[in-house]
Amino acid sequence: MKATDVALAIVDTYPGALCVSSLGTATSALRAASDDGPHFYLGAAMGSALAAALGVAEAVPDRLVIALLGDGELLMGAGTLWSVSAYRPGNLITVVLSDGVYGITGGQQISGQTRFAAVAEALGGIAGARVRSEEALRAALRDLGRPSLIEAELSERAWPGPSPFVDPARVRLAFAANAAGDIR
Amino acid sequence: MASRDLSESPAPQPAPLAWQVVIADTLTARGVTVAAYVPDTRLQPILSRLADNGVCLRSLTREEECVGYAAGQRIAGQRPVVLMQSSGLGNALNAIGSLAVPYHLGLPLVVSMRGTLGEANPSQVPLGRAASSLLGTLGIQSFSVRSAAAAEQVTTGVTTLAFEAGECAAAILEPELGGGREGN
Repeated sequence: MKATDVALAIVDTYPGALCVSSLGTATSALRAASDDGPHFYLGAAMGSALAAALGVAEAVPDRLVIALLGDGELLMGAGTLWSVSAYRPGNLITVVLSDGVYGITGGQQISGQTRFAAVAEALGGIAGARVRSEEALRAALRDLGRPSLIEAELSERAWPGPSPFVDPARVRLAFAANAAGDIR
Repeated sequence: MASRDLSESPAPQPAPLAWQVVIADTLTARGVTVAAYVPDTRLQPILSRLADNGVCLRSLTREEECVGYAAGQRIAGQRPVVLMQSSGLGNALNAIGSLAVPYHLGLPLVVSMRGTLGEANPSQVPLGRAASSLLGTLGIQSFSVRSAAAAEQVTTGVTTLAFEAGECAAAILEPELGGGREGN
């Protein structure tokens, strides 16, 4: 399973969802899978993507929100897992691209084990799953209670393609229209 | 380690000062829907008043997370406010500079000052002294509140810059306002 396969499973399963992607691989994969759809692509601000997704989820509670995060990204902003556990938005799914390395900086190893799904479960109020296949990923996307955290173990590291250097003005306008219901 | 007695009743809250009421009521009148914050003694009466006014409160783990959360709220069409102590501004800079500013997500910031006039804790001084300069270097204007009379004008002006001009702007709660800084 590659990063783009994970992003494709997300947009196939929930084409109307509002997605938020962290810098680097996650943003490139979501752009590739959604044909540059009207999502909230972060170009930097490492560690803030889950917080941004939580903000979106609480701002538009009638829409499904999916955060697509790198594992190094979530490690940097892991405190937000405690906030998700505290406030428990029923419309938020978090998917982590778990390959154990910092991708955009050249593939340096992450220290230690991330175990985000187990941490999420331990915190309470978040359904956690670690998946190793597209079938298991799609089942978890469909079936887990929410909020959920799915750690998608990547078996192959491949750069998805599109640039992660997005135009913030264009992203803001397209996403704002999507969140307002002007694009479905 | 002794466990905390959760049955204990919370400490009585001090009555809010006039400037704290004015700031909360002005934020409410300007359509603020949610307040993301990290706790601070002088901010607490503002937050209590906001809650009384029906504004949703989100106590988060770190100031950077507050900015990320507010960015998500803002891009989804809501009107958030971020409240923090000046010592937390250092924690928030990456999310401000790499997300709120480039995406033009105008966020109003309310910063309770430490480290300036009358500070007794040397560890608070460097960031307090630098707070307005740090914001200014990122292109964010900050405006001092030193009296109850100035609180409405500054709060209105900061929210106008944020919500109408799309520019982050900060209301700086100076020590002259009083309100019980820690250790004072």
